[in-house]
Order: sequence, then structure tokens, then C-alpha cells
Amino acid sequence: MSNLPDIEERIRPLLASEPYQLNVDEHQSALLALLKDELAYACDRSASIRNYVERWPIDYRTSSRIADLPFLPVGVFKSDPPLALVDRSEITRTLASSSTTGQVPSRVVLDAATAKRMTKGVMTIIRDFIGPTRRPYLVVDTAATLAGSGELGARGAAIQGLRSFATELVCCLRSDPGGNLQLDVERLLEYATKWKDAEVLVYGFTYVIWNHLVKPLKNDGVALNLPNVRVLHSGGWKRLQQQAVTKEVFAGGVAAAFGCSPNRVIDFYGMVENVGVVYPDCEQGNKHVPAFANVIIRDELTLEPVTIGQRGLVQVCSVLPTSFPGFLLLTEDIAELIHHDGCPCGRRGTAFRFVSRAPKAEVRGCGNIETLRAHPFVNVA
Amino acid sequence: MSDLIQAVISPEEIAQAAIRLRDVALNKDLSPRAVLELFERWAAALPGIDTQLIPGTAFLRLWLRRGTLEPILQRELGQAVFNCGWREEGQAKLRAFPVGVVGHWPAGNIEIQPVLSLTCSLLGGNASLVRVPTDLVESTQLLMARLRDVDPTAMLLERIKLVTFDHTREDLQMAMARNVDGAMIWGGYEAVSHVRALPFPHWTRLAVFGPRLSVAAMDAEIWNKPSERFSWCRRIARDVWQFDQQACSSPQVLFLERDSCGEVNSFVDELRQAFQEENQAHPRREIHPSLTSAICFARASWLLDNVANKAWFSQSPDWTILLGEGTNIPKPTQGRTLTVLLVDDLFQVISKFDGAVQTLGLAIGSAQKEEALAHAAARRGVDRIVKLGRMHVFASPWDGMDLIRPMVRVVRHVPSQDNAGAPRPPGTGREGHRKTGE
Repeated sequence: MSNLPDIEERIRPLLASEPYQLNVDEHQSALLALLKDELAYACDRSASIRNYVERWPIDYRTSSRIADLPFLPVGVFKSDPPLALVDRSEITRTLASSSTTGQVPSRVVLDAATAKRMTKGVMTIIRDFIGPTRRPYLVVDTAATLAGSGELGARGAAIQGLRSFATELVCCLRSDPGGNLQLDVERLLEYATKWKDAEVLVYGFTYVIWNHLVKPLKNDGVALNLPNVRVLHSGGWKRLQQQAVTKEVFAGGVAAAFGCSPNRVIDFYGMVENVGVVYPDCEQGNKHVPAFANVIIRDELTLEPVTIGQRGLVQVCSVLPTSFPGFLLLTEDIAELIHHDGCPCGRRGTAFRFVSRAPKAEVRGCGNIETLRAHPFVNVA
Repeated sequence: MSDLIQAVISPEEIAQAAIRLRDVALNKDLSPRAVLELFERWAAALPGIDTQLIPGTAFLRLWLRRGTLEPILQRELGQAVFNCGWREEGQAKLRAFPVGVVGHWPAGNIEIQPVLSLTCSLLGGNASLVRVPTDLVESTQLLMARLRDVDPTAMLLERIKLVTFDHTREDLQMAMARNVDGAMIWGGYEAVSHVRALPFPHWTRLAVFGPRLSVAAMDAEIWNKPSERFSWCRRIARDVWQFDQQACSSPQVLFLERDSCGEVNSFVDELRQAFQEENQAHPRREIHPSLTSAICFARASWLLDNVANKAWFSQSPDWTILLGEGTNIPKPTQGRTLTVLLVDDLFQVISKFDGAVQTLGLAIGSAQKEEALAHAAARRGVDRIVKLGRMHVFASPWDGMDLIRPMVRVVRHVPSQDNAGAPRPPGTGREGHRKTGE
């Protein structure tokens, strides 16, 4: 039976445990029953979800593996109003994705309980990578990105997600009158002088850090002296690929700007629809799956899970959300499955590497009608 | 790169190739009979372990047969084309000549299309400069290798230049456009819009095929008949499967005209069975990840958007049936995703066509009703009205256009001497036929 208090009670220990200590079998059995109950809960709360789940080729109630459970493609979160499992009155915040120009952003709705679990989820994961201590937090963005109580963008959500690690938060960008991001060099230099020996936490979107911090500092011949800094970044590489900035070039550029080692620069994969779960690179360059989530890399031809060394579409799974149906989501990203256990970094469970967004097909043939005719036929007898 | 398809890197290579091709096309006659003879041999040479996996090869064999092409040539260019001579029309004589070099921009999703397209211009005596889409290089190479086997004197091959380059190489696209006298352009919205906008000389003739979509429709008399239902479902499945539903002639939606006693679930059950059988017979070998995403999205959004909607689909992206109601054509997903919509009246559906529909596949009980539907559809821009199961049978006209004639010039010769030409029968004096300027 789908009983929300019972579900919440079963999520709690997964969130409280060490995130990377389960092997694949333990992990699967810990999540499968809970995900099934969450699906049943979603079906109770939403006739739309019930209609979808009932039409799934395999009855989820009898499934013996997570890979057989009905997943939603992330594109469904572009709907308006957003998909919700709670009444409007219970929604405390709506998160929107960082869609590229002209595209509709994805939106997910949070109630208080889900928001709390999201924060806890990110904390649990990040703590495993940078330790539990609070530290000065430098945000490579503007203060305005964090403003607004109703709808929060992906950048704002990611910044907020790390706030639990902060003793104080400083933003080093400002908007000029034209709305363009500008580096506040003076403020940054002051900050670097003040915290030169501290373990400063830095976060920004990948392209924002590169375009609005690394490049201006390099142009001005300025290097900060923050050797103990931890630079976390996320948000994808699409905009930097156009500038031929690879992951290695990025880490080198950031390290030069902050005066730290490149291994203090950590890329993490995450998305608004999977809020509460992030996938930082370990020192081996792999991404690991925490206890309260899962990743399935699916062969695009069969949608079956791939074997080690193969690439496919990424499905993210999370037991955290109960305000929106974000338990099992097929993304439009491609990743490679590295192994199911045994990363030298010591983290157990599935490891993968992000490869790219699924490339757009060159053409979809002479049947590809993108638009209606501009001059439709007038009525004829 | 293959020896039959050249990976070009500079505009000069394209310009040089066009000069050579034009020289051949304008200075050497090409007898349609000789072309048909060679095509017949090409068709016979096509079967093979390597070519059998190329989708559409069976159809290409059929297309290349004399029995297919001779009637098309005859209809488009007249019987005289086979005599390589001038045909008389009143005082004048008419004869078809090639326009010169025809550039071909085939769609990237249909393996046999580079070959199909160039055969049309060869039948008009032209030379062909073909841009082979990157994904089709291998299949085109295999098909053309069979032509080389049967064309030892290079009678046709000397008129063909196959090139390949990345579609983003604007300089090469422009070079192709600047050097052709005719262009056959096939593809989706983006591709066609892009190629049409290239700097063709003012004399270049453009024949544009696509983008279009196609629709299937059945009346209750047919889909309600248990004895015939499954065979119709198999025909629909065949039409959906070919070209992975990405061709302009692929049905994206099936409109079912309802009646009071129609049981749509039985029909969908049989359609599902036909889809499963077709999938077993013709399993997909690869799929673009973006198409997998699109299929998953179509399934989910269909069921989430309206709880009255239903769907049946495989665990893989192999096939999808979406069932609902409505008279509008939904946005196509392709990839073997058929939307089945119940309607009260097929005429209501047709009244909403806006010219984008290329083919209407029909299964209608009454011939009189079918004729009325065909007439209404033709009025609303549909260019092909065919029986379900035959939606992809490539024939002329296509998209409402002849396939050979657009790339020939029909030259009119009015002899300067009254006694020129064949003796005239008694009583056919010329005075009464003379027109100003002739």
C-alpha cells in the first residue's frame, strides 16, 4: 500500500547512511521495494501517472529489477502546469532548469519535506568529497541569482544546495546595466587575501566560471593565491565545447586562476529534475551512485541496461522526491558504464562517466515536418 | 573513402567535376533504350549478401526494371523518346534534351535515395552530381559497385559524380549549387530550406520533394470486418516499418471512422499483433539516441496529457501505438510510432489538411465514398491517394510532380524550309497552322 509516512520513514535511513558503502545487489534490494511503493503512491495521487504506469509493458508490482520499472522521460517536466503529486497549496518552491535560449525549461515543484530531503541528499554526497566542515563559500555568480522566493533557477538551486557547508557566502559577479555578468575583481582580490590559507569552497556553473572568472583574470594577468580552495562546478559543457574547452583545459585554467592544484577542481553532474542527487567526479574521474539513488545506462536500441564499457542513455533514479514524480527519469544524456563495483577511490557501487548530451540527428528525413504551412489552403469547394 | 564516392574538401574539386560532367551531358547523346537496358542489368546484379541488408534494395530492383521505367518515360516524354528522334507536332518538331548537370541532395534517412534520385536525371540524359549524406556513404557505395560491374564502358558512370562532405561545409554546398543546371532536393524541413536558399544560377531548375507527411484512414466498414481486419493491419505495419517511418510517404497517424458497433479494442489488438510480427521480421539494427528519447517522450506525454488516451508499446523503442480521439494530425514522432485517432467522419479530417499531407493511404469499403474522399483530399493538397500497404511505392508523379521531365528541356524546332521533314499527307496545308513568329 502506498503510505506516505511509511515511505518517508524508509527514505530516512538511506539518507542517513554512508552514501557509497552498498554493493550493487544490496543497493538494488534497498531501493526496489521503496521505488515500487513510491510509484504506487504517485498513481494514487495522479490520474495521469496512473494512466502511464498502467500502460507500461511490465507490471511494476511484479518487477524484480529497477530497470523494469516505468520511467518518465525528463521532457515531460516541461509541461505547464508542472507535474505534481501534491496540492498547489503545499508547493513551497518551483525549480526551473537552465534551458538554452528559446527552449522551454523543465520545472519541478517541491513541498517542504521534499526540499528538506533534497538539501540533505546534496549534503550527504558533497560531504563525502570535501569533508563535513563549514568554510567560506565563494559563489561565482550574482546575488540576484539567489533572489526570489517562488521560482528558483538551476544556478540558484545549485548554489543553495551547497549553503550548508558555508560559514559565509560571497558572490563575486555583478550584473552591469545591460544585464551582462561582470567580475568584481576588487572584491575577489580582497576575498582571496582574507582567506588565502583557508579551505574556501567555490561554486559556479561551468561556463560562468570559465567565461566570467577564468578568462577575465587571465586577460588581466591576475592569479589568486588560494591553494586550499575546492572548486565545484556543474551545468554542462555545451557552451564551452564551442570554445574547444575540454575538461582538462578547464581544470587547468581554473587551477591557474586560483593558484591551486587541478585535482581540487571537481565537476559534478546533476539536473533540476533529479534535484537532491549530484554526481561529482572522484579522483579516478568516475561518478558514483549514492545509496538513495541509482543510475541505469540504457542501450538506445533496446532500452536494456548496458554492460560494462558500453555507452547509452542515462536513467537517473531517486527515492527522494515525493512532491513530483521524479523517481525514475530517462535523460537525454549519454554516459559510459565503468563498473559495478571496485573503484580504486574506495566508493562502492555503480560508477559511470558522462559522455555528452545525445547529439541531435542530422536529418529526420523527408517526413520531417517542423512547422505547419505558412499559407494553409483556403476553403475550396 | 570509397573509390566511387569522393570525399571532397575544396569548392574547386566540385567545380572541376561539374565541368567534366557537363561536357559529357551536352556532347554525348544517351539513348533511353540503352539506359533502360543497363538499369535492367543493374537490377539483376543487385542481390547479394552485402546489399540485402540495405533497406529498400528490393524496391530499387523493382524500380530499375524496364517494366517500371518504360511506362514512366513514355508518359512523361512521349513514345518518340525511344527513337532518339524528333517527334512532330503540327509544323514543329519536339525533342527532349538534358538540362546538363543535375545536382542531387538526397535525404539522409533513405538508403536508396541517392541512387533513386540520380536514375531520374539519367533517364533524361543528364549528368549527375550527387551529395551523398555521410550516413549513406557505405550503402551507396555498395549499390553503385553493382552498377560498375554491369557498366564496363562507363556509359553511365562517366555521367555520375558522387561526392560526400559534412553538411555544415557551406562553401562546398554553395559550390555544388553554383555548378548545376538542375537540382533534385529531398529531405526534411531544415535540409530543404537550407538547400533551396543556396546560390543557384538563375537558370537552374529546382525540383523539391518534401518535407511532407502522410496519413492513413479506414472507414468502419473495413476495420470492423473481422475476416479482413488482420490483413489490413499487416499492410499498415508494413507501411509504418519501411524507412523507420521517416519518409514523407510514411503514415504517422491512422484515422478510424467509428460507427455505433465498432469495437476499437479488437482492432488495436490485431494491429499490435501485426506490429509485433513486423518487428520480428524486420528488427531495427540501430537507432539514433535522440529518436529513442523522442519515442519515450511521445509515449509518456500521450498518456499524461489526457487520461482518456491509451497506448501500447514494447519495452524497447521498437514500436508504439497511441490511441485517442480527434481530427487533427498530431506532431509526428516517427520511429514506428503510430497515432490511431477515432473520428466521426473522415471528410472532417480531410477538411483540415493544409497541403502538408503527401500521401493518403486508404481502406474504404465503398468505391463511391473512396472516390469522394480522394477528390476532397486532392483538393486539399494531397498528391497521392493509394491503398494501405502501398504507401511507399515510388512512382511518377511524386509529390504531384513528374520525376524525369522537370530535368529535361523540350526543344521545339520549326523548320525554316517548307519542304523540310517527312512528306505531308494530302490536304494538310501549312498556311492555316502558321503562328506569329514561327
